[in-house]
Amino acid sequence: MTLTTFAPLPVVEEYREIVEDRGYPTVREWKRRTGRAAVGSFPVYSPVEITHAAGMLPVGLFGAGNQIEMAHADSRFQSFICSIVKSTLELAFVDKLAPFDALLFHSICDPARNLASVMARNFPERRAIYVHLPQNMASSGAAEYYAYELRRVAAELGAVSGRVPSDEDVLESIVAFNAMRSRLRDLYALRAERPANLSTAELYTLARMATFTDPLESEPLLADSLRSATTRDARPKDRIRVVVVGSFCEQPPLELIAGIEESGCYILDDDFLLGWRLFRTDVPVDGDPYLALARAYLDGSLHASTKHDLRVPRAAGLVASARANRADAVIFLGAKFCEPGLFDYALYRRALEQEGIPHLFLEFEEKMWMYDRIRTEVETFVESMLFV
Amino acid sequence: MRYAVGVDVGSTQTKALLLDESGTIVARSLIDTGAYLVRAAERSLEAALAEAGVSRNDVGYAIGTGYGRFKVAFGDDQVTEISCHAKGAWSLFPKTRTVIDIGGQDTKAIKVSDRGEVLDFAMNDKCAAGSGRFLSNSAEALGLDVSEIGARSLDAKTPVRLSTVCTIFVETDILSYLASGKKTEDILAGVHGAIGARTIALVRRVGAEPEITFTGGVARNVGMVRAVQEKLGLEVNVSPDSHYTGALGAAVFALERMTAAAQVLA
Amino acid sequence: MTEHHGAPDHDMTGHHEAPPRESPPAAARRAPVETAKAEPVHYQGRVHELQKELMNAYYAELTDIAKGRSPKKNAHLLIAGNPVELVRAFDMVPVFPEVNVLQIAARKASLPLIQKAEELGYAVDNCAYVKADVGLYLSGYEAPYGTVPKADLLLCNYVGCNVYLNWFEHLAELTGAPAVNIDIPFIRSADGEPSPQDIAYVVKQLEELIGLLERTTGTTLDWKKLQRTVELSAYVGEMWAEIKALTQLRPAPYDAYFDSVTMMAVLYCLRGTEEAARFFETAVADLKERAALGKGPLPEERFRVVIEGPPPWPFLRVFRDMFTRWGAVAVASTYSTVGGIWEFGFRHDPQRPLESIARHMLAQNLCNRTFLQRYDQMARYVDEWKADAIVIHSVKSCRLFSAGQGDMREYFAREREVPTLLIESDLEDPRYFSQAQLRNRIDAFFEALTQRRITAAAAAGGVA
Repeated sequence: MTLTTFAPLPVVEEYREIVEDRGYPTVREWKRRTGRAAVGSFPVYSPVEITHAAGMLPVGLFGAGNQIEMAHADSRFQSFICSIVKSTLELAFVDKLAPFDALLFHSICDPARNLASVMARNFPERRAIYVHLPQNMASSGAAEYYAYELRRVAAELGAVSGRVPSDEDVLESIVAFNAMRSRLRDLYALRAERPANLSTAELYTLARMATFTDPLESEPLLADSLRSATTRDARPKDRIRVVVVGSFCEQPPLELIAGIEESGCYILDDDFLLGWRLFRTDVPVDGDPYLALARAYLDGSLHASTKHDLRVPRAAGLVASARANRADAVIFLGAKFCEPGLFDYALYRRALEQEGIPHLFLEFEEKMWMYDRIRTEVETFVESMLFV
Repeated sequence: MRYAVGVDVGSTQTKALLLDESGTIVARSLIDTGAYLVRAAERSLEAALAEAGVSRNDVGYAIGTGYGRFKVAFGDDQVTEISCHAKGAWSLFPKTRTVIDIGGQDTKAIKVSDRGEVLDFAMNDKCAAGSGRFLSNSAEALGLDVSEIGARSLDAKTPVRLSTVCTIFVETDILSYLASGKKTEDILAGVHGAIGARTIALVRRVGAEPEITFTGGVARNVGMVRAVQEKLGLEVNVSPDSHYTGALGAAVFALERMTAAAQVLA
Repeated sequence: MTEHHGAPDHDMTGHHEAPPRESPPAAARRAPVETAKAEPVHYQGRVHELQKELMNAYYAELTDIAKGRSPKKNAHLLIAGNPVELVRAFDMVPVFPEVNVLQIAARKASLPLIQKAEELGYAVDNCAYVKADVGLYLSGYEAPYGTVPKADLLLCNYVGCNVYLNWFEHLAELTGAPAVNIDIPFIRSADGEPSPQDIAYVVKQLEELIGLLERTTGTTLDWKKLQRTVELSAYVGEMWAEIKALTQLRPAPYDAYFDSVTMMAVLYCLRGTEEAARFFETAVADLKERAALGKGPLPEERFRVVIEGPPPWPFLRVFRDMFTRWGAVAVASTYSTVGGIWEFGFRHDPQRPLESIARHMLAQNLCNRTFLQRYDQMARYVDEWKADAIVIHSVKSCRLFSAGQGDMREYFAREREVPTLLIESDLEDPRYFSQAQLRNRIDAFFEALTQRRITAAAAAGGVA
């Protein structure tokens, strides 16, 4: 549909199908190759360095997308519960979580917390580890406590892999993830700077690849893609510049992201796959690695709808991003029934109206299959912005 | 001869059914419910009595069921349609252990004992209400009568997948599919598949123990029967009287009470 | 939490129906069942009257503060496992948004407030408690029972419920009031006990909170007063536990769901005060007397049920009548443990006030325990309170309670073979209450239970 005036990125081509493959072919391949275990991480943020340090592959679990039909999980979780909670459970019922030796859940919302329990009861053979993420960012005890929590998680993960990581192991994994995340930050910066050079559909595919690939292997792929995209000679199209927010947990189908772009938007910033690139800067590698991870989470991370930092309102973070990116508008792309996202929308809307930044509210479900409705809304919104 | 009466006052149709003392069905009636439930119950009874050529004085016991069960002014008692569907399905197919009923408002799965008693039941969530309406809205969006969509769906070669089971949004989805050139039968197969999947999720809550009997008006839809059987991987019983199952169950309860009362008197 | 005297229970178009009868053939041979006669059942008693008095006084005080007639400071805080003892020790008055909005719902006045918030951008799927509270704030905090003072401090006790965090974050932005989160680590241990580090972390935050309260009130903490407050909590906890044990009797002297809410109002809003202690002394005496006389809340106790989930406040009376018709009495409820679990032995400890407040917040309330620990709690109720069945009231607003209740139903119905009913509505939003649908499911459930009893009696060879 869009005219590509430059060569596609090989990594994007290679992974386009794989990112939505619930057979997790690359995870299985990694396990065969290394003989080691894999751990699924439910969104949003997961301390993946520790999984990695325990000798296992951390893999992002993003529900079933629009790949499977719900047949079991609907009878456990009600119709007003978001899709990702149900489809993740459904994957377990149809044995699609077989590649995972353990699962990590986090204190991000009420349904996700109860899912950890339901998963543990129905599939006791696969350890479900629940991680408490601190919510009192101002307490002087938070960093120390969260470091303790991470050590507790390390011990649990060690019991799965048979190797509790040493501090050196954790430091090494921090270095590996720092490098990978640094490339992701570079790619995000490139897109914000020259959005015609790197589409969000491409960037999303690359970032998603990094959620199921060993960081030591994904970092060179990202670096390679960064080089290729930077050297592209692309002419900007007549599009509006937007920041997308709201899809930090359940993920919209890739076709929907592409559809928003094709409807006339350059996306300059977003919160897709947010937890995998949460830290603003590298995690320090001197001193206690657990404390370093804890401090990075408390003081050095991006705004997230599941992290309640009373020191800085999240809406201010969104406005700052829109301003820094010289965005024309904000698109709130929220998952249906996602309570943290929907709550934030009320505050975002208030702040955006105060700041005079136009916005569009869209609701999606990962399992959606047709995008005509949403595309029409975006096109109308774009027209209203371009022709006034 | 005394007769036992069951009247099922549903949201769209009201059904009455008469049993004689031996338990044989002697008359059935079916009318549109309309706005006045009391009147609908009354008319359905009259129609059934007329068919049997029986006078009102010969009614020994009457039970109302369905959402309008408290509107059956002549009824001696009320029983929910969940108990009545269980009883009715068991009466039609005595080996029934699981009952599936898809109605206009509610869908239910009922686990029954070897005596037709309810052991457990599950019903759709509020947000997933209206399977019957989902079907009729789909028919309307395609310009078809609801009675023909089931058979039509059987012709599908490549069924579509609906992105919604929301009664409100299904029409938009269908229009988009039509615009993209999808065949009517493929869309219909998608519609039936979506309802089938949702129904099976309910059946799993009570456990799908055979035999399984599919009751209610939607059981007459051959596309729905096939969708349910395919998803279950099991055959289901369907009676030509399926849409009278609730009224039949109520009549069986009425007959049991009539008989018991007669024994006490004797 | 006063019960509303709403319209009498009508079915779809207002006809009155016959009382339910046992199914045949037993019913035909039995004397008519003595439940749900034409005249409505009166549920209120002495405890209810005294509660009303105390709650009126509590709201009068809030109104005085709001109107500037009282110099007292207030803190808004949440019900689940909270450190109200610290607030009381500073002579501050606790304000509970949950209690404020549920009372509005019980007076059938919640919908306009919810809609006011939805106009601001809150979603239909957001918790209606939050929306009603935001709507209440936008209405100048004027409620039918008094005026709610704007918070001097928004004290968010993050105990399990993630919506709590959103709620107070929003209040902070809307009202500009200072806010603090007390981060309570969720229980992650199989035995349900907090770790020493969990306790140390919470105690540390409570110490920081003391500093904040000192700055808010301009006073320093009187340690003796804190100890006395904690002692009063322990005393009330002891009596509440005694009251809870009474429903193990047959018949249960009160309904552990519908009548518990009357006592919960005092337990939560006034815990740590002398008034609460006097109230519970009266309640224990009153309920013990009823127990000694063999009196229950209904003329006949036919079914003993455990109810899980918060009540539908806008339709409490109608909802209760649906159970009363069948002679069903709640002998235990999970809702009555959201603010604390005392029936299994926990007591605050005046010798270690901060540590015991921390324990209460961490592990001795329903909300901060896992979903599976809730299954265990309910299983204990079924066994020790000798219940016949479980009713799960699934409310859309509160996903902490409801998310996954299909699995809970599965566990009890299939694995433990306890008859279990799952029904849904909402705790605050009247738009989610479908009377005919609820009634249908409740009736079908008790019809089946009745039938099962008859069959069991027949199988046992007894003549019904």
